[in-house]
Amino acid sequence: MNPLIPIMVILPITCALLLNLIHTKERSVKILAIIVGIALPVIPLLANYGIHYFGGYSPLIDNPQMAQGLPDMITQSALNLFHPAITYSFTSAQKIFVFILGLIAFLAIFTSLSEIKKASGVYAFLMFMGTAAVTAILLSDDIFNLYVFFEIAALSQVGIILASRTEKSYETALKYLFLGSIAAPMLLLGIGFLLGLTGNVNITDIIYSINTGLVDPQNPVLLLACGLIFFGWLYGSGLPPFHSIKSAVYSKALPHGAALLQAFSVFTFVGLGIIILRIFSFLPFTQVAIIVVSLLAMVLGITMALMQSDFKRMIGYLAVGELGYIGIGLGLGTALGITAGLFQAVNEAIITAFIFIGFGTILYKTGITDTNKLGGLMVENPKVALLVMLSGFAMAGVPPFNAFQSKLQLVQASITAGLPELGIIMVLLSIVTFMTFMKAFYTIYLRPKPSELEIKNKEIPWATIISLVVLLLICLILGLFPHIVTGQLEQLAQGLI
Amino acid sequence: MIIDVQLASFFTAAALIALGLFAALFLDNLIKKVIGLAFIGDGVNLFLVTLGFKPGGIVYIFLPGMSADTFAQSASYPLPYAMVLTSIVIGASTLAVMLGIIIMLYKKHGTISSKKILDD
Repeated sequence: MNPLIPIMVILPITCALLLNLIHTKERSVKILAIIVGIALPVIPLLANYGIHYFGGYSPLIDNPQMAQGLPDMITQSALNLFHPAITYSFTSAQKIFVFILGLIAFLAIFTSLSEIKKASGVYAFLMFMGTAAVTAILLSDDIFNLYVFFEIAALSQVGIILASRTEKSYETALKYLFLGSIAAPMLLLGIGFLLGLTGNVNITDIIYSINTGLVDPQNPVLLLACGLIFFGWLYGSGLPPFHSIKSAVYSKALPHGAALLQAFSVFTFVGLGIIILRIFSFLPFTQVAIIVVSLLAMVLGITMALMQSDFKRMIGYLAVGELGYIGIGLGLGTALGITAGLFQAVNEAIITAFIFIGFGTILYKTGITDTNKLGGLMVENPKVALLVMLSGFAMAGVPPFNAFQSKLQLVQASITAGLPELGIIMVLLSIVTFMTFMKAFYTIYLRPKPSELEIKNKEIPWATIISLVVLLLICLILGLFPHIVTGQLEQLAQGLI
Repeated sequence: MIIDVQLASFFTAAALIALGLFAALFLDNLIKKVIGLAFIGDGVNLFLVTLGFKPGGIVYIFLPGMSADTFAQSASYPLPYAMVLTSIVIGASTLAVMLGIIIMLYKKHGTISSKKILDD
């Protein structure tokens, strides 16, 4: 038992509730948010690997005291091995994911507290609640518990959009909720089918039931469950057909909120994607379906980004497109492919947060997101412009940044898996990403300043600069020493194949 | 006869989901859309409740004097019911948020037509 495992979820939830209670006391909100924000990435580093059984209810085979006096039909059957309570599992891969999520959450909260004039306890509450929910999605070995946190994450995302109070944020939030109110019950229906077949919602037990023949793997209900859970996964991560609403969600949030929202999407994508692979990888079409939707996400996301004049929308579409790279890695189904895909997930979460916070400085200085109305900002703050440019280089996979390493591994994985076409498409789309970014960068920073553009006379907060530098350093460190992460992720990948 | 009750519940759940999907996708009035979405959630909840139904079963409360064997053989499976309780709470929260947003949008646009409000 490691108490730090549930604390990764309990602490941000408790903090969120407290922030909601004291939301009018600005100073207290700031202090509490910063302290718990710092704790978010620290706890996974301190926690030991292991499994946490809520209520202490381990399987009966490990708990002879509880098994005493129970009928043979329980103790002499597979029920003896099943997990009777919600279980959280914490491995080296989860450590990396939760650490990165916690770090992005901290930087987003840190930036928001400095950029927003009056610290909003409600806004911080939503950020912490979303972080707790996505952390639980990453840790939970119970698919219904995952569904509950999936819904909490969706509601938190809607709350972040609403609290951002941008133009048409209510309309976008409602559309997102409408789609979520279709996708989430479909996910629950899929879970219900799995429960009906296996009598279980614990993922390890479901896999045991399928692998040992307790459930017929050819049962068509399993196909239906796979399809429904897959549909929920598409919604949660913003893959087609939800790519458009997801990019709209990012664009309606404030930049620091969007930085965190995209991290939610990436880690929901990873969490649910791994579960789909764990349970349904024996179905021949699962990996093909993952590759197809990932390719669609890449092509649609990146080409639509090229057409946007609103830079927040452009980054939103780029973020959706980049998800496709992760999916390709998972869909290849090889150890190298899955490792590269998961590495790309870590990189994407960091880089997109970097870009959102970087471009957020433009919104902070001008209040404008339409690139057609911007220009000449290089003169205003060349250091921030340089940071923003480097964030774009990182996303496009320019060496020595981290995405270069993960994209290179993805291309290698696609070639070794006998699908070099995928490698070619990924390289081409990286070039398009670079073009898209450079087009926006030129328009905003390098071309002459439009005469009607008014630049606010306020300095970019130091907290924003610190966040950008921290994210840049992580991009460089992971680019130069990728084995820090890939070595850990490889263990998970080996377990999945 | 009891199995017919279970089948009828499954069909009702399917009908609720289909009706809800139709309302959510094709009706223009936002409130009607929300009602449709609630139907989808209710259909899924009914499906889960029906899953836990055990013909001739007993409530999963271990009463004094009851043998463990009898309980293990006769008690219905409690997990789906626990899931449905949670699902109802989540559904109610989502519904409240949706209705709250619709009130705000009505104040802003003066209508609850989805074509007028949600189309870009």
